Order: sequence, then structure tokens, then C-alpha cells
Amino acid sequence: MMKESSYRTGVTPVWCPGCGSFALLNALTGIVLPNLGTPGHQVFIVSGIGCSSRIPAYINAYGFNSLHGRAVLIAQGAKLANPDLTVVAIGGDGDFFSIGAGHLPHAVRRNVNITCIMVNNFVYALTKGQTSPTTPYLRRGEGPFLSLQFYPPVDPVLDMVSYSVSTGASFIAQGITADVPHLGWLIQEAIKHRGFSFINVLTPCVTFEPPQFFKTIREKASYLKEGEPVELPDSSREQPWLHDSGNITLALKLAQTPVLEKPHIGIIFRGKES
Amino acid sequence: MRDRLTIGIAGAGGDGVVVLGSLLQRLAASQGYFSQMPRYYGPQIRGGASGVKLSLDTTRASVSGDTVDIMVCFNWEKYAELEQELPLGINTVLFYDNAPPKKGINLPERSFQVGFSEISKELTGTTAAKNIVALGLLERILALPENLSKGATAQDHASALLERNGLALNAGKRLLLEFPFAELKLSPPWDASVKVVLHGNAAVAQGAIRSGCRAFFGYPITPASEIMQEMQERLNHGNGAFLQAEDEIAAVGLALGASLTGAKSMTATTGPGLDLMTEMIGLASGAEIPVVIVDVQRCGPATGIPSKSEQSDLNHAIYGGHGDAPRVVIAAYDVEGCYRLLIESFNISEYYQTPVILLSDQWLGQTTVAIDGNFLTRDYSVCQRRRPGGEYQEQYRRYELTEDSISPMAFAGDEGLVYQATGLTHNEKGRPSFDFATQQRMHEKRWQKLAPLRGKDELVEVFGTEEARRGIVAFGSSAQFVLKTVEDLGLQHRLKVCIPELIHPLPDKLASFVGSLEKLLVVEMNYSAQLHHYLRSQLDLPSDTETYARAGGLAFTRKELSGPMTKLAR
Ligand SMILES: Cc1ncc(C[n+]2csc(CCOP(=O)(O)OP(=O)(O)O)c2C)c(N)n1
Ligand code: SF4
Repeated sequence: MMKESSYRTGVTPVWCPGCGSFALLNALTGIVLPNLGTPGHQVFIVSGIGCSSRIPAYINAYGFNSLHGRAVLIAQGAKLANPDLTVVAIGGDGDFFSIGAGHLPHAVRRNVNITCIMVNNFVYALTKGQTSPTTPYLRRGEGPFLSLQFYPPVDPVLDMVSYSVSTGASFIAQGITADVPHLGWLIQEAIKHRGFSFINVLTPCVTFEPPQFFKTIREKASYLKEGEPVELPDSSREQPWLHDSGNITLALKLAQTPVLEKPHIGIIFRGKES
Repeated sequence: MRDRLTIGIAGAGGDGVVVLGSLLQRLAASQGYFSQMPRYYGPQIRGGASGVKLSLDTTRASVSGDTVDIMVCFNWEKYAELEQELPLGINTVLFYDNAPPKKGINLPERSFQVGFSEISKELTGTTAAKNIVALGLLERILALPENLSKGATAQDHASALLERNGLALNAGKRLLLEFPFAELKLSPPWDASVKVVLHGNAAVAQGAIRSGCRAFFGYPITPASEIMQEMQERLNHGNGAFLQAEDEIAAVGLALGASLTGAKSMTATTGPGLDLMTEMIGLASGAEIPVVIVDVQRCGPATGIPSKSEQSDLNHAIYGGHGDAPRVVIAAYDVEGCYRLLIESFNISEYYQTPVILLSDQWLGQTTVAIDGNFLTRDYSVCQRRRPGGEYQEQYRRYELTEDSISPMAFAGDEGLVYQATGLTHNEKGRPSFDFATQQRMHEKRWQKLAPLRGKDELVEVFGTEEARRGIVAFGSSAQFVLKTVEDLGLQHRLKVCIPELIHPLPDKLASFVGSLEKLLVVEMNYSAQLHHYLRSQLDLPSDTETYARAGGLAFTRKELSGPMTKLAR
């Protein structure tokens, strides 16, 4: 258990016990901000609307819980007007990859120095269990999802890397709430990257997902290490290669690994800074 | 000799119509003449109809007469598309290029076929300088000297153009020498000081810079794009933050982000963009974030007529969005107002921590005027946000309930004042609240803080004798046509006119104007009489109240307004 951080406000989170958002809160207030040593008044946390987007109220930094899908806009505007701020945008998979998805390719190409953290719980939780663009196909009865997934889900990491192909910009990573220290390290790296960064955080929703769903992800998770061979799922016919986050072609190839077969945890792509 | 003169120019895009109009306007302005020049163009990018109507005046810039005194036509087919904007009168002197017009157009008695294109081709090898040949002719007729350079601004490009085409210009001056056109000569201007030439969109941008705007985000849309272009030039060199956003949701979202760090922030758009901004405007209202949004209105709904004026976004500006979100709506009715009211919009937005929508329209935004430039250098008070002082250390409450309901605002980055805010209903500390009493109290705060604005008498103009019991209310550019028609009809002593620049909240001075009347006429350019309905919802209107409301797409003419006005005066 992490000790209470001075970066926490006195507000008690509304999240269900066991919600993955606690891990993000702990990573930010217990690791990232203390390690970076940035005083709270120089940090601006902007969120969208959703369960995870309640987070600004719990962090002792400037915070704004904005509109569904629009955190990335408020964050860029703030950074452009006050470049001294450390600006972090936080939201759900509905925020970033559905209603606000149109903003992402532009954020990548502009390469404004902000950090986006997508709390990907594979479901619309706040609205009580509808499918999100990242919800996998599940058979009827496999989970309490309210609506059924008719279309193939998107893989946010793959799509984000592909947005970087033309400009070579941005920093794209995948973290997991089951490993808070590693998540904290990833977020620090993202903040230190002088340009746009995006972290897809694999997160459980204990209320609207079958428990085995996140358990499987956690078990299959594989850590990326620079210069070491990447692990590939059994279904892959590729030869493992040595991980090089500076290489967009390898990043694309890596990102094409289906996330549920082999969730790669680490820095997928580290593009050019702005 | 005459005091005012209206010149129409029509052709196809690429004929140099706007260049010719602008050069004439600049030449006249450098001699001290006032003028106004609306632009008419269609949906095509190239080869569509293009026209201008330049009204030169010795004493002030006011809207032109319905018909033109001089008409220059480069293309009859295109003229046919612009006939409603540029009707020929029996006394119009017409100069036209090439072939005589097809049937259906009655040429006035004094019509001259002048080979502008031919002369240009002969002298320069192409027909491209035909507008300069025409300029030469008009310059001589109006007795305007051509030394553009003296004093007037941004003339380099124009002077170079004239220099390069000196042959064409001189040839134009020698045309039709046998006709002196003495009655077309203008009296000397009332004062010879050089007039500045600009349109409402440029005035908005200059006003923004004057008020210290440091962040502009926009998305291109006719007829507002000039504002974005000018702001880009002014903010780009490290003077502030500028981005062309991916859409209007982004434009206003970026502006709110910048505003939260303390930057005076704005965006500009027209109807469809305002639609997309609506959710964010509610957020700005609820979370009390200053932002200025300029809406250069055009014909709607949907894409409507993008290049033509209407005043049909009024309802949206006042009421648009869900959940009782107060905002301030201001409307400029002339170019000077675009500048002054942009400064005022920032003042109100910053002081009251609220979104302000400044309404302009295509006619106002894109009509270039030559006017006295004094308003650009006058002193304006510039308001700043109320900021928390030392007393708040540790205990800062972002939404503190103060006597005037305005809470001091910390900027993201301020030491010792960290707060978290939200678009959720929140308490004084900005913490989410799901409690009825808080919801009620915060509504009271946001609405009540705007109440003092009702007393801003200086944002309501009243013309005419106070004793008059018959009056007109009009807003935006339509008000210019109303004023001119009242004057031309000689009704200044029977009718008074009220032009509210502050529309919402409804100013007391407008209320007392309406209260003093036995007969009221509301004039506006939208089909459903939005201003009339707004006034009715807030005031007891005289039982004898009429409206003159019609769709946009064509500026009001004096002819059409004189009917309802004469009736009002009877
Ligand atoms: C414009 C708009 N449409 C719909 C909603 C309703 N809404 C709130 S949160 C949400 C989706 C939540 O899912 P996600 O973004 O994945 O966040 P989570 O709750 O799972 O953390 C939706 C649809 C809204 N707030 N605003
Ligand atoms: S519903 Fe799911 S995402 Fe929302 S708080 Fe509960 S566990 Fe977390």
C-alpha cells in the first residue's frame, strides 16, 4: 500500500471498490508527481466525462472535469497558452476513442506537449455498461454488458501508432493498472517526452465486466524492453524481433498483435519531439 | 458637383471587380472621402458572379441608395445574377465591356460600350488589366488623383499594381473625352484627412488585439474566415497562441483551455460553427470561464446561402444549449462598433467570467468602409479578471459566493490557489455536488452576476426626438438601413430609433424606450421575427406593435422599408 500522498485532496473517490481508476490515482499521486517533483500548481489535469474522469477532484493540482470527449482540447489550449504547465488529459475509451476520436490525429500531428491517459476499461461504465469502441466480442451471457458488440472493436494502440506514421510524431505506450509502479514509470516517461504522448491503460471495470476478462489480460501481459526480443502470441507467424521503440515500422508491427492475445506493456513508439 | 455617388461593378470572378472597387475606394479614402462597399459573390470559387457597390460620400459612410449612379459591367451573364443587388436606374451611366447585353436588361439612356478588354489586350498583351483601364476612366470622371501612397495604409501592393499597369491606366483616362460627365463629379470631401479602409471582420480582429487577446482558435467558414486569417498574422510571431482547429468544437475547447490559464481567448465563426460550439458554451457558462465568440451571421438553416447576410442566429445566441446557461449577447451594427464592442465583449467576459457572443453578419463583416480612423486610437478601458489576493492562501474557493456573485479566479499555474473545477454542479470549492440547494444557489449566482449589465446605457443607441411616441427597434447591420431610410423619408421628428448593442440580458434603456411608445415597429432580417419574440417575452409591448421581418439574402432597400415606416409615422 502506498502512503497517503500530499498530492491527494481530501475528497473520497466515488469509484466502486476494486475499480482500476484507483491504480491510476495512486500512480499519479504516489509516484509520478512526487518523482517529477513538480509542484501541484504547475500541473493541470483535464478530464472528460466518465468514471475515470472524476479523477481531477482527487489530485491536489489544478484540475478541470470538462466535457465528454473534449479533454484533449482543453489540455492543448492550456498548454499553448501557458507552456510552463505540465498538462495531462485523462478520460475513458468512450472519451478518447468514440466521441472525441476525431481530435486525436490532429493532436498527434500538432505534437503539442501534453500527455493523454486513456483509462481503457473496454466498456462505457458511467452510463452503466454499454459497449465502447474497444469492447471485444463476447458471447451472450459472458458478461453484464448492456448492449451487444456488433462491430469489430478498435485497438487504440494500433490506431494511435498509425496516426504517427505520416509525421513521425508522438509517444505511444500501453500500461496496465495491475502494475502501478510500471504505470507510474510510463507516465513519467510520457510527461518527459517533449511532444504529444498517449498511454492506453488496460483497466478493469469490476462492475460491468466478467471478472475473468481482466484476469486473462493480466496473465497474458508481456513487458517490452528495449533491445530485447518481443513476445508474440502463439497465433503469430512472425519471427520475434528486438524491440526498438524508435522504429515506426516495428511499432506498427507490434501494435498489430491483437491486444487480447498478447498485451504488450511498455513504450510502443517514441517519435520525434516538438 | 454632388455629395454622394454610388458605383456598381459587376463581372465574373477573375475580372478584377473587387480589385477595381478596392482601388477606387482607397484612392478616394486617401483624398478624404468616406465610403462603403459591400461585396456580392456566389458559391463558385472561380468564374462565379462578383460585384461590389461602392458608395462615396463627402460627409460620412452610410448605406448606398437602391440604384447605382455609375455601373461598370464586364460580363452581362454574371450581371444578371447580381441584378437584385445592383439595379440600374434610368439615370445610371453605364459602361460595359464587349458585347451588348442579352434581352431582358433595359439599358439606361446613357450607356457606353467601352472596349476595356480590347484596350488592355492591345497595350499589355492580355485582357487582365481591363479593370485598370476602367479605373483610369472612373478616376478621370470623378477627378480623383491617383497618388495612392500618401498616408493611407497597406498600399504597397496597390501602388505596385498601378505602376505595373501605367499604360492601361492612362489609356483609360483618355476614354470618352468628348463626354465631360460633369454631374458625376464629387464635391471636395468635408475634411481631407485620410480615411482608414477596413471591414467589420478586420475591425473585430484589431479590436481583439487592442483588448489584449492572446489566444485565438478557429475553423475556416465563410463569412468569418477573415477574422481568423488576421488573428493568425497578429498572434503568430510569439505574440500569443493561434491554431486552426480541426472543427469548431475544438476551436472553442482550445479557447477555454487557454482561458483557464488566464489568457484572453476567443474564436469566430458563423451559424453552423455556433451549432457545434453549443455544448462548450454551456460549459463556459456553468464553469464560469471567460471566452468571446464572434458569430458573423449568414443565411441558414444548414448551409443556407453562405455568402449572404441574415440575422437568424439570434435565438441560438440567446437560448442555444441545454440547462439554463446564461451568457451575454452583443450585436454590432457598424464597423466602428465591431472594434469597440469586441473590446467591450472581452471586458464583460473577463469581468463577469461568462461567455460573450458578439453578433456580426456577412454584410457588416465583409463590407469595406472608409471612415475616420480616430476610433482605432481612442482610449478604451480594458477590464481584467478579478483575481484572488493573499487572503485566500489555503482557503481558496473558486466559486465563492460574493456580494456581486463574481468569484475571484485563479489561473492554472498560480501558486497557492490550486483548485479543481468541473462542469458538474459544484459547490463553492468547485467540488461536484448532487444537491438541490446547491444547484439552485449556483444558478442564482450565475444569473444574478449578469444583472448589473442591464444598466449599461452606453450599449443602447437612441436616435430621434425623445418626445416621439412612435419608434423602431432594430439591431445589427439592418439598423443602418433603418436609420438611412428614416432620414431619407424625413421622418426623424416623428419616429425615434433604438439600436440595442447589448441584446441579452435585456438593457433597461431598451425597456424604457419601448415603454415610451404608443406604436412600435421591429425590423429584422430573419423569417421568424426572433427579436420581436425576444422583446415580447421580456417586455409589455405597445398594443400597436408591428414587425418587418423577412429572410436574408438581400440587403434591405429603402423602397421596401419605406412602406412600414410611413405606416408607422401616419
Ligand atoms: C455529449 C455527451 N453524450 C453522452 C454522454 C453520456 N456519457 C457519459 S460518460 C459516457 C461514456 C463513458 O465511457 P468511457 O468514456 O469509456 O468512460 P468510463 O465511464 O468507462 O470510465 C457517456 C456516453 C455525455 N456525457 N455527453
Ligand atoms: S463502474 Fe466500473 S469503471 Fe466505474 S467506478 Fe465502478 S468499477 Fe470503476
